[in-house]
Amino acid sequence: MASLKRSVDSDPLAANISNKIYVRSTKSGKVQKIVREVYLRQDIPCSSRLCQRCQTVAPKDASGKLIPFVLSDSPAGTKVFPQGHYLVPDTNAFLTAMDLFEQDSAFYDVIVLQIVLEELRNRSLPLYNRLISLTKSEDKRFYVFFNEFRLETHVPRLEGETVNDRNDRAVRKAVAWYGEHLARIKGKDVPAIVMLSNDRDNLRKAKQEGINACSLADYVKQLKDGEKLLDMIPETQDQDNIKEKRPGDNLYPEYFSMSKMMTGVKNNLLHQGIFNVSPYNYLEGSIRVPAFPKALLILGRENINRAVDGDLVVVEVLPKDQWKEPSTQVIEEDAITKNENPDAEESDDFVSEKERKALQEEVKRTHSKTTEGHAQPTARVVGVIKRNWRQYVGHIDQSSVSQSAQQGRKQDSVFVIPMDKKIPKIRLRTRQVSELLGKRILVTIDAWDRSSRHPSGHFVRSLGELETKAAETEALLLEYDVQYRPFPKTVLDCLPKEGHDWKVPQSLEDPGWKDRQDLRDLLICSIDPIGCQDIDDALHSRPLPNGNFEVGVHIADVSHFVKPGNAMDAEASIRGTTVYLVDKRIDMLPMLLGTDLCSLKPYVERYAFSVIWEMTPDADVVGSRFTKSVIKSREAFSYEQAQLRVDDSSQQDDLTKSIRTLLDLSKKLKQKRLDAGALSLSSPEVKVQMESETSDPIDVKTKVHLDTMSLVEEFMLLANTSVARRIYEAFPQTAILRRHGAPPKTNFDELANQLKVKRGLDLSVESSRALADSLDRCVDEKEPFFNTLVRIMATRCMMSAEYFCSGTQAYPEFRHYGLASEIYTHFTSPIRRYADLMAHRQLAAAIEYEAIHPSTRSRGKLEAVCKNINVRHRNAQLAGRASIAYYVGQALRGKATEEDGFVMKIFSNGFVVLVPRFGIESLIRLRDLAEVEPQAEFDAETYTLQTSGSREVKVELFQKVRVRVTDQKDETTGKRGVKMELVRTY
Amino acid sequence: MASSQHVLLSPAELSYLHSSLSLTPPIRPDGRSPTQYRPLSAETGILPGTNGSARICFADGTEAIVGVKAEVEKTKRRWDDDAIYSENQPTEGEGQQQPGRDGDNGEESGSSEWVELTVEIPGYRDDDSGTIFLGQMLSEALLADGGFVRKLRINRRFHWRLYLDILLISPPLSYPLPLLSLTTHLALLATRLPKLKSEGDEDPFFDDDWAAAPYLYPRDPSNKQKVVERPPVTLLVMAVGGNIIFDPSKEELAVADVALAVSIGDDASTAQQIQGGDKMDVDSFSHGSGSGRNLKLLSIRTVDPPSRLTPPGVANAANSAYGHAQVVSSAGAGGNSQKMPEARQTESEAVEGVWKPPRGGAKAIVMGALVQKVLIRGGVADEVLDALEGVDTS
Repeated sequence: MASLKRSVDSDPLAANISNKIYVRSTKSGKVQKIVREVYLRQDIPCSSRLCQRCQTVAPKDASGKLIPFVLSDSPAGTKVFPQGHYLVPDTNAFLTAMDLFEQDSAFYDVIVLQIVLEELRNRSLPLYNRLISLTKSEDKRFYVFFNEFRLETHVPRLEGETVNDRNDRAVRKAVAWYGEHLARIKGKDVPAIVMLSNDRDNLRKAKQEGINACSLADYVKQLKDGEKLLDMIPETQDQDNIKEKRPGDNLYPEYFSMSKMMTGVKNNLLHQGIFNVSPYNYLEGSIRVPAFPKALLILGRENINRAVDGDLVVVEVLPKDQWKEPSTQVIEEDAITKNENPDAEESDDFVSEKERKALQEEVKRTHSKTTEGHAQPTARVVGVIKRNWRQYVGHIDQSSVSQSAQQGRKQDSVFVIPMDKKIPKIRLRTRQVSELLGKRILVTIDAWDRSSRHPSGHFVRSLGELETKAAETEALLLEYDVQYRPFPKTVLDCLPKEGHDWKVPQSLEDPGWKDRQDLRDLLICSIDPIGCQDIDDALHSRPLPNGNFEVGVHIADVSHFVKPGNAMDAEASIRGTTVYLVDKRIDMLPMLLGTDLCSLKPYVERYAFSVIWEMTPDADVVGSRFTKSVIKSREAFSYEQAQLRVDDSSQQDDLTKSIRTLLDLSKKLKQKRLDAGALSLSSPEVKVQMESETSDPIDVKTKVHLDTMSLVEEFMLLANTSVARRIYEAFPQTAILRRHGAPPKTNFDELANQLKVKRGLDLSVESSRALADSLDRCVDEKEPFFNTLVRIMATRCMMSAEYFCSGTQAYPEFRHYGLASEIYTHFTSPIRRYADLMAHRQLAAAIEYEAIHPSTRSRGKLEAVCKNINVRHRNAQLAGRASIAYYVGQALRGKATEEDGFVMKIFSNGFVVLVPRFGIESLIRLRDLAEVEPQAEFDAETYTLQTSGSREVKVELFQKVRVRVTDQKDETTGKRGVKMELVRTY
Repeated sequence: MASSQHVLLSPAELSYLHSSLSLTPPIRPDGRSPTQYRPLSAETGILPGTNGSARICFADGTEAIVGVKAEVEKTKRRWDDDAIYSENQPTEGEGQQQPGRDGDNGEESGSSEWVELTVEIPGYRDDDSGTIFLGQMLSEALLADGGFVRKLRINRRFHWRLYLDILLISPPLSYPLPLLSLTTHLALLATRLPKLKSEGDEDPFFDDDWAAAPYLYPRDPSNKQKVVERPPVTLLVMAVGGNIIFDPSKEELAVADVALAVSIGDDASTAQQIQGGDKMDVDSFSHGSGSGRNLKLLSIRTVDPPSRLTPPGVANAANSAYGHAQVVSSAGAGGNSQKMPEARQTESEAVEGVWKPPRGGAKAIVMGALVQKVLIRGGVADEVLDALEGVDTS
C-alpha cells in the first residue's frame, strides 16, 4: 500500500513544502485544528542595496518593476562593528523598547523578521502598528523579511521544542543566513548582522553558533550618546532581580486567569467595564458595567489592584458589609505618598500609615451616618482584559530624587508624576536625573508587578522646560492624543495642483459646474468671530413676491476637494476635528483647503453646498431644497461688526436689510425651539487676550453674547436639522447623525437635592421642557449669576452628545435632548469636523449629485468613524479647555486679584470655588485656610462646612465668597494654575 | 451492507468449502491458519485536518479510511441544574450532600450522544439496514462501558463531541466489519484533542499549540510510543463444524454455522467495574500466559451468516436426474426444490457431500467457546492488539 501522506522521498518538491499546525479558538467557542501548508521559495530578496544577486532574482510587480531595496549599502557603524551593521531585533526587543527604534539618532537599517512581526501582532496591536508605520517610513530603512517563506531560513519545529524556542531559533537562523548571504558579496566590507535580544538564553545560543548578538543595553552603549538612550530601555529585564524577591512580598492579589474571568462575565458573576479614577480621590475608582444602572465603586489600593484609568477590567462585587459611600474627602496621591522612596519599596507597608489614617476617617464618617441607605455597592478588580496604557506626560518628582543622583551618571530610580492626576506615580530608572529635572517628559508604563507598589516605566523623550509655551502645548496635545504632526506628503499630494491659484472655472461647461447652481448674484455674507480664517458658512435672505422670505445657508463645499478613500480623507478621518488652542490651531485639513480654497472668503467665487428655505414672516418653513452651488460672498463680518451694522439705523443697503431679516427670523426660530423644550445651558467661557507681538497672554475676558451670534447659530441648527431629515430619508440605515441622550434621572439627584436643601427650589427633570422651565425658575434676586451657576452644574449632569450611524439606534433614540430636536446632524462645519464632511457626501448622494462611495454607505466603516470622531471631539474640547486654563494661569502670573466666586462642590476637608470672571474653578482645602489646619465639622445633609479653631468660617454650597486669586505652580502636576485663598464669605 | 451479499458459489462448492473448513485442522481457501488475520498495511495521520485519522488496506484490496473530528459542545443540563449540581445525581446514602463532592459525581457521567459515528460503504445507501447495523456494532463497542465518553468530558459544563467518519473506499469484497473496526481503532489511537488551559468549570480555553495537544488515549509518560489504554476492537469470528475461524473471507462466511461480532476492550484499569445495565461482564481470564493484557468483553452480536440464504444441494438419492423413481414432477433445479416435499425431506437429514444451509440459532456451547477463544490470554485478540501496537500512531 502506497502511503497517502506526502513523503520526502517520493516528491521532488517536498523540500519546498512545509506546514504549520495550530489550534484556533473562535469567539463563539469553537475550537479548530488549522493546518496550513507553507510553500517555501528562494526568491525573497535580502533587500540590501549591496546585494546584486537578489536584485536579479527578486520578484517583480505587475508592471515589471522591482520593489526598491531598503537596506542601505553603507549602514552606520558602531564601536564594535565599525564596518557598519544591520540590526535583527527579536520580538522582545520590540515589545520592550519600541521607543528606541523610533529614535532619529540611531536604529537605522533594521531587518524585521516576519516571525517577529507576527508575534508582535499577537502580543500588542498598538506596538505592531507603530512598527508597521516604521517599516513604511522611507528614512528609517526598516525591511520586513519573510523568513518563514524563504527556504533557507524556514525552521521546522523540532520534537518537544516550545514555540518560543523555535521562534528564537528561527531568528538566529535568519541572522546566520543574512551573514552568509552577504558574505558572498565580493570586494566590499559587508555590514555585520547583529541580533538584538534581551533573552539570555537566546544570546548564549547565538554566541555558540557564532552569530553577532547584543542585548539592547550592550548595543545602545556602543552608540554615540548612547547614555541618553539607555533610559529608554525598560527595566525589569534583569531576570535575577525578579527571582530575588520572595513570593511573600507580593503586595497585590493575583489576577484571575483569562478563562475564569470570561466565564464569570458570561455568567454575570463578574463584570467587565472601563475603569475610571475619581479626579478628586486617586484611591477611588468607579466602573460602569452593563448589569447595573449605576457605577460600582472601587475603593482602596488593594481593590483597585493595579488598574490604571482607562483599562478594561473585570471586577467582582464585594459583600454587602463592605459597601461604602463615595468619599467626600479630597485625597491626592501627592499629599499622602509624598515621602516615599522609589528605591526602597519593600520596606514600606503596602498600605502606608497615612493612607490608613485617611481610610479610618472615612470609616468613622460612614459609621456616624444615621442614614444607612447611602452605602453604595463596591467591587474589586480581579483582572485586566486590556491595558489602555499610553504615553504619559509628566515631570520628575523633585522630592524623590536623592542628592547623589543629581550629580552622578549612575542609574537611579525616581518617581514621575503624570500631568493627569488620575494616573498613579510611575517609577522610572534613569541616568539623566539632573538633566530631566524641571522638564516636561514623556514616559510610558512598562509593567506593574504584584510586588511593586507603583507601576514602572521608562523615559521616552523630553518635551522641554516646564512652563515654556512649546513644551506645555506639546504636552497638552500629547495628553489629549491630538495628531499635531505636519501633514505627510501623501496627504499634500491630494491637494489641487493649482494651489492658491485655484479658481472656480470661468466656463459653465467645465465639469466642476455640472449640477451646480449659479448663486453668485445673491447677497451672501458670512459672520464669524474676529480673525476667523476658516469660514465654513455664509448666509443670505431676500423677500419673495408672495411675502415670504428666501433664506439660504451656504456651506463650504469641502467634499468637492476631499474625495473619499484618498490619503487626505484618511488623515482627516483620523484627526476627526480641528483643535483650537488659545494660540494655535491644529487643522483637520491642510491649510490650503481650510483657509483658502474651501473657506468662503469674501469677494471671491467659491464652491458651496447650499440649503435654501422658503419661510413665512413667522419663520415657518414652507419648503426647503439642497443644492451644490457657486457663491460669491459680499462681505465677511465679525459678530461685532455685524451687530454694529444692524444696530446702525442709517445703514439701509440691501445687505444690511437682509441681515436684519435674518436676525428677525432667527429670534422667532429660537423662541420656537425654546418652546419645544430646548435647553439653554451654560459653561464658563472666557477669552484670553494676547499681546499681539509676543502672543503672551495679558488679560482674561468673559465672552460677551451678541444677537448676531445666535443669528448664525439658529440658522446653522435649522440647516443641520433639515439635512439630518434628508439624509435619514435617503439612507435610513447609514445616515450619520448626532444624538444627545436624555440623562438618567439619577444624574440630577444630587443637584436637585442640593437645590431643595439650600434654596428650596424644585428641579423637575421629566423632560427637557420641564428641566428648561425649572432652570428658568432657579433665580436669586440678589445674585444674577446664581442661575448661570445652576445651569453650569446642570450641564455637568448631562450626557455628552455623540455621533452615530442611524442603523444602530431606534428612531426615538435619535433625539437631541439639549436642542429638543427629533433628529440632528452636523453639516455646517466641514472644514473643521469630519462628521460634517460625511454628511455632505451623504447629502450629495441623496440629491443625486453624485454616486455614493462605498465607504460612505458601509455601516461598519461608519460606526468606526463615529467612534473615532466622538473620542476626538471630546479630546479636542478637553485640550481647548486645558489650553485656556494654562493661559489663564499664565495671564495671572505674578498678579494677585480679589474676585467673587461661588462654592459649587463641598467636601469634608475642602470646597471647590468657581470664579466666573476667569472661568476657573479651584479647590480650597481646609489646610489652605490658615497656618494650622482648622478643625471642621462637615454636614453632608445640609452641605455645610463649619470650621473652628485657627479660623472660623462657615462655608455652604452655592455661597458667594470673596477669594484672592494668585498663580501657583502645582507641585503635583507641574502645571501653573491658579491658587485661591478665601478672603471672606458674604 | 449486508453480510449476506450474493455469493456466487454452487451448492457443491459450498459443500466442499464447508467440509474443508470442518476438518481438523481446517483448510482455509487462502491457506491461513484458523486464527490468522489477513495481512494488512496501516498508517495513521493521513488527513491533516482531522484530530486523528487512519487508513488500513487488507491484502484482498479492501481499504478503509477513518477520520475523527472533535468539537466543543455545551453539556445539556436539567432546567434546575444551574447552581446546585447535586440534585440530579442519584446518590446512595443520606440526602444531605456536600456540594464539593458532587463535582466528582458529575465527572462520572457522559452521554452516548457525544459520539456521532457514520459509516459509508460504496454502493449502499446510508440508510441501508446493513450499513446501520455495522455502525451500530462499531458504536456499541465504543460506548459499551461508558469509559470512552468519559474521556470526552471537559468539565461539568462542556464536553467534546466526536464525529467519527468511517469510509470504506474499496468495493466491499468481504464483510468489512473487522477492517472498519481496526481502522477506527487506529484513528482513535491517533486522535488528539487541544490542550485545555482553563481550570474547573470555566468556559474552556485551549492552548493554541497543536504539538502540546494530548492524545485521547494517553501515552505512557516514560515511553511515548506505549499506549496505556486502547480503544475497543470488534472481531469477526465464525464457527464451522467444530472449528472456530477468525477473520473469515466472504466465501468462508458463506458456509458459516454461526458468525459473531465480538467487541473487546483492553482494560488497563482493572479496578473499573461496570454496574447495572444488562451487559455481560466477563472478567479477565487468568489462564494463558504472554502479555499482561486485561481483555474485557464489551459486546457480542450475532451476525446473520449468508450461508442461511444459500441454495441447498440435492442429494443424488433425491435427484431425478439420477433416475430416482419417486420424483414425479418436473425435475427442479436446486432453487425449486424447497417447494417439493422430497426436498423438505432432504433437509432433515444431512447427506455427506451435499450442501445444506444451516438452520436454527447458535448453540450456547458454541457461543461460549467462541467468546472464550477470543478472550483467552495470548489468543487472537492479543495478537491483533499487539499487531496494531506496531503501527506508528504519533
